[in-house]
Amino acid sequence: MAYISFENVCKEYKMGEIIIKALENTNFEIEKGELVVIVGPSGAGKTTTLNILGGMDDATSGKVIVDGKDVTKLKNKDLIRYRREDIGFVFQFYNLVQNLTAKENVELATQICKDSLDPEEVLEKVGLAERKNNFPSQLSGGEQQRVAIARAIAKNPKLLLCDEPTGALDYKTGKQILKLLQDTARKENMTVLIITHNVAIAPMADKVIHFKNGTAESVEINEHIKSVDEIEW
Amino acid sequence: MKKALYKDAVKEIKNTYKRFISILLMAFLGVGFFAGIRATSPDMINTLHTYYEAQNFYDIQVLSTLGLTQEDIDAIKQIDGVKNVVGTYETDAVIELERAEIIAKVMCIEEINQPVLLEGRMPEKSTECLVEESFLKGTNKNIGDSIQVEIEDTTNEEQEKIPYLKEKEMTIVGTVRSPLYLTQVQGTSKLGAGKINYYILIPKENINASETFIQIYITIENVDKLITSSTVYEEKVNEIKTQIENLKEERQQARYDKLVGNANQKVEEAQAALDKEKQDAQTKIQEATQEIENGKKEIEDGEIQLANNEQKVQNEFANATKQIQSGKQQIEQSEKEFLEKQQQAEQQFEELELQKQDLQTQLGSVKEGLQTIDNNCKQIEQALQNPLLPEEEKIKLEQQKQELEKQKTSLTATKSQIEDGITAIDTGISSGRQELQEGSNQIQQAKKELESKEAQFYATKKTTTAQLQNARSELEEAKQKILDGEKELQENTKEFEEKIKEAEAELVDAREKIAEIEHPKWYVLDRNANTGYASFIQDTESVANIGKVFPIVFFIVATLISLTSMTRMVEEQRTQIGTLKALGYHKLQIATKYIIYASLACILGGILGMGVGFVLIPKVIWMMYEMLYQISDIVLSFDWYNGSIGLVLMSFCMIGATTYVTWKELVNTPATLMRPKAPKMGKRVLLERITWIWKRLSFSQKVTIRNIFRYKKRVLMTIIGILGCTSLILAGFGLKDSISQIMPNQFEKVFSYDMQISLKSGLDKEQQEQIKQYIQSKEEVGKSIETYMSSGTVKSGELEEDVQIIVPKEKNEIKDIINLVDITSKQQINLPDDGVCLTDKAAQLLGVKVGDWITLIDTDEEEKQVKISYVVENYVSHYIYLSSQVYEELYQKDYETNVILVQNKELSAEQEDNFATDLIGQNEVATVNRISTMVKSMDDTLKSLNYVVLVLIVSAGLLAFVVLYNLSNVNISERIRELATIKVLGFYDKEVYSYVTRETILLTLIGITLGLIGGYFLSYFIIDTCETNMLRFNKVVEPISYVYATLITIAFTVIVNIVTYFALKKIDMIESLKSVE
Repeated sequence: MAYISFENVCKEYKMGEIIIKALENTNFEIEKGELVVIVGPSGAGKTTTLNILGGMDDATSGKVIVDGKDVTKLKNKDLIRYRREDIGFVFQFYNLVQNLTAKENVELATQICKDSLDPEEVLEKVGLAERKNNFPSQLSGGEQQRVAIARAIAKNPKLLLCDEPTGALDYKTGKQILKLLQDTARKENMTVLIITHNVAIAPMADKVIHFKNGTAESVEINEHIKSVDEIEW
Repeated sequence: MKKALYKDAVKEIKNTYKRFISILLMAFLGVGFFAGIRATSPDMINTLHTYYEAQNFYDIQVLSTLGLTQEDIDAIKQIDGVKNVVGTYETDAVIELERAEIIAKVMCIEEINQPVLLEGRMPEKSTECLVEESFLKGTNKNIGDSIQVEIEDTTNEEQEKIPYLKEKEMTIVGTVRSPLYLTQVQGTSKLGAGKINYYILIPKENINASETFIQIYITIENVDKLITSSTVYEEKVNEIKTQIENLKEERQQARYDKLVGNANQKVEEAQAALDKEKQDAQTKIQEATQEIENGKKEIEDGEIQLANNEQKVQNEFANATKQIQSGKQQIEQSEKEFLEKQQQAEQQFEELELQKQDLQTQLGSVKEGLQTIDNNCKQIEQALQNPLLPEEEKIKLEQQKQELEKQKTSLTATKSQIEDGITAIDTGISSGRQELQEGSNQIQQAKKELESKEAQFYATKKTTTAQLQNARSELEEAKQKILDGEKELQENTKEFEEKIKEAEAELVDAREKIAEIEHPKWYVLDRNANTGYASFIQDTESVANIGKVFPIVFFIVATLISLTSMTRMVEEQRTQIGTLKALGYHKLQIATKYIIYASLACILGGILGMGVGFVLIPKVIWMMYEMLYQISDIVLSFDWYNGSIGLVLMSFCMIGATTYVTWKELVNTPATLMRPKAPKMGKRVLLERITWIWKRLSFSQKVTIRNIFRYKKRVLMTIIGILGCTSLILAGFGLKDSISQIMPNQFEKVFSYDMQISLKSGLDKEQQEQIKQYIQSKEEVGKSIETYMSSGTVKSGELEEDVQIIVPKEKNEIKDIINLVDITSKQQINLPDDGVCLTDKAAQLLGVKVGDWITLIDTDEEEKQVKISYVVENYVSHYIYLSSQVYEELYQKDYETNVILVQNKELSAEQEDNFATDLIGQNEVATVNRISTMVKSMDDTLKSLNYVVLVLIVSAGLLAFVVLYNLSNVNISERIRELATIKVLGFYDKEVYSYVTRETILLTLIGITLGLIGGYFLSYFIIDTCETNMLRFNKVVEPISYVYATLITIAFTVIVNIVTYFALKKIDMIESLKSVE
């Protein structure tokens, strides 16, 4: 059995009288330690998938198994524990707490986890040892995203979810972030899921899942994994 | 206004109804409270106005020191603008009840100041009267009962004493409320215990009094629409007052002239009478003098006559004596001659006696011869007899016998001769003796005659002398009489002269008095001179003052809150504003949406607030004043003026705030607006530099502190909001604390007596001692002291206050029953010997301090200067304490007890009742005032204040809730991304909650702390504002009130936090994925 599996997952939103189907019978599997990229155009259901996988939203039907646990069955509190212990999340807009320094932002996550890593070490890993005492507003976008990644991995999660991690960054910085994610996945043997509309990123992944019209259209294993440095878009 | 924008605005309200409602609520509270509390004071005045108009209450009152006459009334009537002028009488009366005597103010029922009939009916007969409601309660009388109204005689224009009333006995036919007395009758009387207890109203017909009125009441034309105490009204009244003042001089003079004229006439009459009397008396004296002179002359004549008579008598006596003397001499002569004769006779007698003796001797021998013869005869006879005898012998014997016989016859003849000689001698002697005897007898006779003559003379002399003596003494008597008469005359003359002198002095006095007749002084007073009115108006000012402070807090808080809300709202819609701007909408058009939003909330809330506030707040506050004042029900009005002010102010604040924040955004270019606003930069706080503290803080504490310093504006709002609420709540409780302490302070801390027993006036020492002993002997009594108590006035400059004068008999005993505590040192003090103790509120109102001199006026209107030695603590009404020594020195009269203050042992209510009844039953006792009953009635009054406090607390609590709720909403909305993010990070609901609430709690705590401090000052301010002249609020906020204020604020915080908890739970984590707005 796969580490993560999506089985016939459906998600419907009610907007007044209208029912919008965000996900329809979505199926895919992810193995432990895989770097997966989910690509697709806007409204294809990528974010919904991420939300459901991240325990931020529930599925209308279907099963989501993460490390043998059915996330869709979890009660509120267990769901929070799932988010707390199993998931690391990297946002498009970093979502750092402005009022906390880089280190404190990391600490914000580590203080609630059991097996958390040392914030300073993690910051060093992401190359921000020098700037650990700076506030987000004093950091560049890339640096902020690194802090966000550090915050996510410091929790030592089972799954690192990244929502358009480069969306708000320039090309160069974006690449650095992707590199960091790739390295992290490799070195830490962490399962990483990146969502992007940028198909060009796909070659760096172990597995690429294509979304279209609310469902995973194809799941392909990347035979020729490229280093981020090799990728250009 | 474009339709789309309008729709947008309406939709916005729908979508953000919570925010809309919270702004609306702020407006509701702010405007409602403001309008309500501001309307209360005018409503109260309006109620009074309506009441006064209905009862035809006076506008101006004229009093005069020498009474007022019909001419005065006529003169005032001439003034333009005067509607009605009524002269009336007013005096104090003693009403004797079974067990007490009360002092009542007796007024006339007039068309002006009509009483409101509460029960019963109006009098139909002159002997019927009306009383106030409390009269019946206080005296246990009922409608239909009769009372005896004792009023001192009055004098008429001719200065003759006449009874004041025609009928003393009057029947109570109804209870009324006189508009003249909004409060309990106050004031002092010279009668009884000096305190007026009630008023009664009687028909004018029962008054016997003169043509002089005590006062004149005046109503003015066209003021019925002018609210009493308003400036327009006051102006109008002043106008008429000025005219009356103008008239005053002339009327005063006229009154003076009349009085002086009357008095002069009287004096002249008296002078004439005196003159006549003088004349008469003088005539009488002259007559009497003449009479005495006559008498004197008569005596003189008498004396001469008497002397003559005496002389005459003396002469006569002398003659008589002479005669007697010569008579005596003659007798003596005769006696002498007689004695010589007697001697001669005696010699002859002796010779005769000798002859006689010879004769007798001869006789003897004869007799012997005879005897012998006889014997011889006898022997012869015997021998003859003897028959045996011879006859011879017989013839011899016969012869012898014959012989013898012959011898015998011769002898017998000789014997007869001798005997004749003896008899001749005897006869000679005896006739000689007889002659002598006769001579002696003659002399004796003469002697006797003379003696009787002498005796007669002496008797005559005695009688005459006695007669003369009598005449003399009669004369003396007459003389004495004359002397007496003279003396009497002198005395009478003296007396008369004195009398005349006196009468003349009296006349002089009378003339002086006329000269002294003061020019009468008119007092032209308006309603402000009515104590009840003045204090009511003052109270409305207190309420108005509260209305100035409290709403300001509400306004500040409300404005700040709406500012925060609207700022947040505009910030949230930055992009939309930018888009609209990019689309080409005018700034104004864009701003309109927010202005409409704010205006709608503000106006809707404001109007709702007015609706509730205008009714609720005046009613609740009225509930309290209703107990203090006897007025009709409150007349509520929709006070557009204050309502609009509140609404306009609130709108100005809210719309102003909205416009300001909108404008601040609008000035930016659309591009800037559409870009996300740079998030607030994180900053190190000062505390971090103090590493040793910072290090010790937990991570979440650090975050909290950072956040607090980050959202300064919101933090400030929260603190101010909570501060305002806490201080309002605390002020409410503080007010309650202060009020509820008044009674215990006065009647436990200051006065620890249970009964005040007033003695009847005019008791003698013995009676006083008796009742004192009686009271002390009662087992219920713990302690008792004797005091003198009286009403008075203290004056300093223009300011004056009514006080109770208390003079304890023994200044050292007072301590146990009246606790005099110096206001500054808080030390118990002794009554000074050189000054007085004044209670502190009176001192404050007069603006005097220790060492100052004030004027003390007692019931006799005597003004005395006294020095304040101490200012002492006191809470209800004003007192001035004097030691008996100071009192005696001041008034130059002996100290006298009239009140006994008694501290009971622990008694049940029933025991105390019985004791009081027993005391009232004593002849010497006038009244018994029990502290327990007094405290109860005062307590009831003061408890009504709690309603006001409740209004304050509830309003403040609501404010607290709205503030916290609003701020919490803003807080969440402002930080929604952050909160969503930490939720994504896996914070439990509780952790999220505490992440946010830790700040709120800290801010609440800071707010509460500051609020307690602020509340302390606000309390004092409000207490100062609310304090009435007769009360001293102990500025005290009980510790428990701080607890309550804290707990209430915390309770609201908790409620808000519970709401927040659910709001946080609802936060959608998807928010975290959205781009920064």
